[in-house]
Amino acid sequence: MKAALAALRHDRRALVGLVILGGFVLIALIGPLLVGDPTAQLALPLSPPSWDHPFGTTGQGQDVLAQTIAGARTSLLIGFSVGLAQVAIGALVGTTAGYLGGWVDDVLSQVVNVFLIMPGLPLMVIIAAYLPTGSTTIALVLILTGWAWSARVIRAQTLALREKDFVLAARVSGEGGVRVIVCEIMPNMTSLLASATIGATVYAIGAEVALEFLGLGDVTHVSWGTNLYWAANDSALLTEAWWTFVPTGTCVALVGFALALVNGALDQLGNPRLRSETAFVAEARRHGVDLGVSTPVLRKANDA
Amino acid sequence: MRTVSIAVACLLLCACAPRRDTEPGVLLIEEKEQTASFIRNFNPLLEVGDVRWPATRSMYEPLLIYNGVTGAYVPWLATAYEFSDDHRRLRFDLRRGVRWSDGAPFTAKDVVFTFDLLRRFEALDLRGVWAFVSDARALDDYTVELTFRRVFIPGLYYLAQQPIVPAHVWSQVADPVAWTNPDPVATGPFTEVTHFETQAYQVDRNPYYWQLPDRPKVEAIRFLAFPSNDQASFALIRGEVDWAGSFVPAIDRIFVGRDRAHHHYWFPPIDGGVLLYANTTRAPYDDVRVRKALSLAIDRPLVVKVGMYGYTRPADATGLNDSYRRYRDDAAVAAGDWVGHDPARAARLLDEAGLTRGRGGIRRLPDGTPWRVAIQVPTGWSDWVRSTQVIVRNLRAVGIDAQLKTIDFNAWYEHVQQGEFGLSLGWAEPYPTPYGYYRAMMSSGTRKPVGEAAPENWHRFALPRADELLAQLEETTDPAVEHQLTAELQRLFVEHAPAIPLFPGPLWGAFNTSRFTGFPDEHDPYAPLSPNLNPQALMVLTRLVPR
Amino acid sequence: MRYLARRLMLYLVAAWASLTLAFIVPRLMPGDPATAMFARFHGKLSPEAIDRLRATFGFTDAPLWDQYVTYLGNVLTGDLGVSVSYFPARVSDVITTGLAWTLFLTGFAVVLAWAIGTTLGIAAAWRRGRWIDTVAPPLLLFIGAFPFFWLAMLLLFVFGFTLGWTPVRHAYASHLTPEASLGFAWSVITHAFLPAITIVVATIGGWMLDMRNTMVGVLGEDYITLAHAKGLAPRRVMFRYAARNALLPNLTSFGMALGFVLSGSLLTEIVFSYPGQGYLLIQAVRSLDYPLIQGLFLTITFAVLAANLFVDLIYVWLDPRARTRSVA
Repeated sequence: MKAALAALRHDRRALVGLVILGGFVLIALIGPLLVGDPTAQLALPLSPPSWDHPFGTTGQGQDVLAQTIAGARTSLLIGFSVGLAQVAIGALVGTTAGYLGGWVDDVLSQVVNVFLIMPGLPLMVIIAAYLPTGSTTIALVLILTGWAWSARVIRAQTLALREKDFVLAARVSGEGGVRVIVCEIMPNMTSLLASATIGATVYAIGAEVALEFLGLGDVTHVSWGTNLYWAANDSALLTEAWWTFVPTGTCVALVGFALALVNGALDQLGNPRLRSETAFVAEARRHGVDLGVSTPVLRKANDA
Repeated sequence: MRTVSIAVACLLLCACAPRRDTEPGVLLIEEKEQTASFIRNFNPLLEVGDVRWPATRSMYEPLLIYNGVTGAYVPWLATAYEFSDDHRRLRFDLRRGVRWSDGAPFTAKDVVFTFDLLRRFEALDLRGVWAFVSDARALDDYTVELTFRRVFIPGLYYLAQQPIVPAHVWSQVADPVAWTNPDPVATGPFTEVTHFETQAYQVDRNPYYWQLPDRPKVEAIRFLAFPSNDQASFALIRGEVDWAGSFVPAIDRIFVGRDRAHHHYWFPPIDGGVLLYANTTRAPYDDVRVRKALSLAIDRPLVVKVGMYGYTRPADATGLNDSYRRYRDDAAVAAGDWVGHDPARAARLLDEAGLTRGRGGIRRLPDGTPWRVAIQVPTGWSDWVRSTQVIVRNLRAVGIDAQLKTIDFNAWYEHVQQGEFGLSLGWAEPYPTPYGYYRAMMSSGTRKPVGEAAPENWHRFALPRADELLAQLEETTDPAVEHQLTAELQRLFVEHAPAIPLFPGPLWGAFNTSRFTGFPDEHDPYAPLSPNLNPQALMVLTRLVPR
Repeated sequence: MRYLARRLMLYLVAAWASLTLAFIVPRLMPGDPATAMFARFHGKLSPEAIDRLRATFGFTDAPLWDQYVTYLGNVLTGDLGVSVSYFPARVSDVITTGLAWTLFLTGFAVVLAWAIGTTLGIAAAWRRGRWIDTVAPPLLLFIGAFPFFWLAMLLLFVFGFTLGWTPVRHAYASHLTPEASLGFAWSVITHAFLPAITIVVATIGGWMLDMRNTMVGVLGEDYITLAHAKGLAPRRVMFRYAARNALLPNLTSFGMALGFVLSGSLLTEIVFSYPGQGYLLIQAVRSLDYPLIQGLFLTITFAVLAANLFVDLIYVWLDPRARTRSVA
């Protein structure tokens, strides 16, 4: 855990990612309180950015800036909660399959593989079309179609950890299966779980925006996806009103990018070669040394 | 060296592929937005499926065409028609010298066969003619007589516009309901399908067409598939379509502005109407005060401006669009004082009806339960969705907990037809006279119980007096009587407000005169401009001239 | 061989699962296609006609198990029923209009993205610390973080409509007929260019980073050090030793990426009016055209399964260890 935080602190890219992410979370929390009702039809539709409306207005005279800020809350909320839920389910299935092995593992693995292989978006579109519109439906559909990836990754890690000495010791001393999983195995997977959660969140935000863009969410609710839906609905490209969809798209990209940066730093934790390699590369550059093409495994003196 | 030769080869290839899209004499028509690939289906009797544009607008023709702009029937495959003195029989004199596109002669046998087909296969009788017709008979090769079960003058409209199919081809078809008619044999101006791909297809002139050699001057018609309204509009703007009939946002700026000399549009408010339907079988919509209050809360000018880009005007309380303008009764219009924007009066009416404000300023039903209103609209109908957004805000301003609910079209259509809704936006089917319109609005003939699919009168409202007036209208051919009866129907509508008219529907139509001229518009309104109307598009198709 | 057999088992199970899912989901929902059709016919169908329609759509009053068996039998003989929204065209006819194009576009784009991304990843591993390693991956990740359809809309608007450099819709020029000619082939490529670029640009960041990280891992192996010690040229070491071994792990995620890209291509097709399965599916869902939805879902899933199987075959061919190892 301490190593994770240290890695994040030292990695410049991760810091950038965290700052961007923090900014958006702040916007999501307090932004809506500052901008008033984003659905108010105040002004002339499709007017370009101006002092009154820094991001211009939508096809219905609504302020784009207000809509972008209000949308952050919904989209981030869905994104993070779906990401967590996916990893939670994935952890449940993955650890059970990995730890118990045998026929349980076979069956669960088959289920996971089946879910992995089925193409996500078409399935999501079909299910979301039948259920009543709303954030809950979107969230459910995303969780249902996305949990399998983290399950697979967690299962692989559980298999590796299961053979370790401390786990065997715990089992020999009589600890029950659940305790072993929860208290011994999972704490050693924190970076993996964190990485999986972030990956799942990125996927969730992207998929949620896509589903809402297709009109399968609740279009009266303000979120990034529905902002893009309305932009398309009001023929943004046809009327050359680029300001109605560029801000929202850029926000989605920034959040995804920020999460990917943080994820990159966490990846390095699991792969010490990468971590030391980054430090080594930075060091070499500072001294103007040409690196060649092999990867030495070095550590700085004060690394644990 | 290698890269250079590849590049040269590519350039040569580009140069060699001629752009046949702009071949002179080939008219580019926007078939229908929102179709990604064309299925080869030219069955004119089956419009509920996915039938191609030309089937009823350039291939198969009717006996007469009703011109909504002039208000008259144009003789087409029939040169004359006449009701018998007791109005129980209708005779059509057919045009001589008409031939099918395979050379066979067109006779009364084909007309009788077509109507008989509708009788045998009810699913094909989309106009429901056998509800009032009892027999169809050929008196000789060029005369057809239809016998009515009862006097029903408006029936002429349905019978006259029925597309006629050839007996010698269709008698061999086992199941015409499931037949896609891939190689049509028809009487119309364009019948020869020369090129059919999923993205584009072309139909060439019928060599045996009865209006040749004068018309049509156009040599062929061509269609490109557009999966979205925006793609269709893009094509129109770039001159890749000559004749279109879909909604275009800010059309003056993005279309006309590009080429003022050749880009034109005409959106007369003569298409049906858009209304807010309240399901009168559900409380509190059964109370006329509530309906009028809802209407008073709506800011129609804003709806028209934001929802419809200002393309139309707010409706008056009769709900009649401009195609009925010669029937409009000024007294009725003046009495309709519930279509202005008066939230104060709306609030008073709602209070009177027992829907008082409760906690948080939200109105409750008389029994105390909160009154939640969800207005249903089909997803993707952007102009309706925008209009309803405005309405929802208007209703919230008078204390109603209103929401917009977008559903996919088919689910929405099922809901409204079966009466599974509280409030919904909807259209009014256009008819040649207000008879059809008011029948759909307040006749027990169209009212069906909740749960049974009703093609019209989704709001399930009926008035006995309206039934009487409509029955009288069915039997009269005297224009003075017609006007008087229609005026009373209007007054009835204004008094009872069965549905809430929002605005008359603009009939979308846009065209490009850089390759073809002869389109109707407000300076030359010889016919409706929209290519979507069947069979009226035939009138325009035969009048267009290549430059 | 055991490896292949296990994978085949997996795919068969997945195929069966998709079939069953496609059967169950429409039947769980309220209404049925016949009722939808009835509404479209303005309520004019006789009771016999309704029953006939119901039978055509596979909704009979027979017990669910019987319906299921009939359904399976029908699918195996290629009878996917009649479409509601394209009535009376058969579902198989509607689907074939789009299947080839989706496969072409997706395949083309994925192979392109994988090839370019992998090459960039190798270059990044080679020139660690330079701009291609520090700037390019984050930049590509950022671009790839934009929603697929957003990128598609932007590219279409800029290059198609404003600049006019590429065609703006469809799979080939509308006056051509599909045939084996250079002109047609060129038209197909120019029309697929922008949609494919969208998919490439959106996914390339991931490929690049994966390849780079795998390469970094491989470069630490002993045989690489030995190759250097022997005096082999750096380029040769890079490509013939390091890259070849780094490719293998990449290949396994290729199959999964295919499914992902197929989903994303759905959105791309809609924006570019590319006549593929994606748009058909959206329309089918919007019209609640159950038979068509069933058919499309099946074909998409089977396409993904087939692609995965193909990748597995290649994997077995490339990696001798897979033939002897029994567990994936």
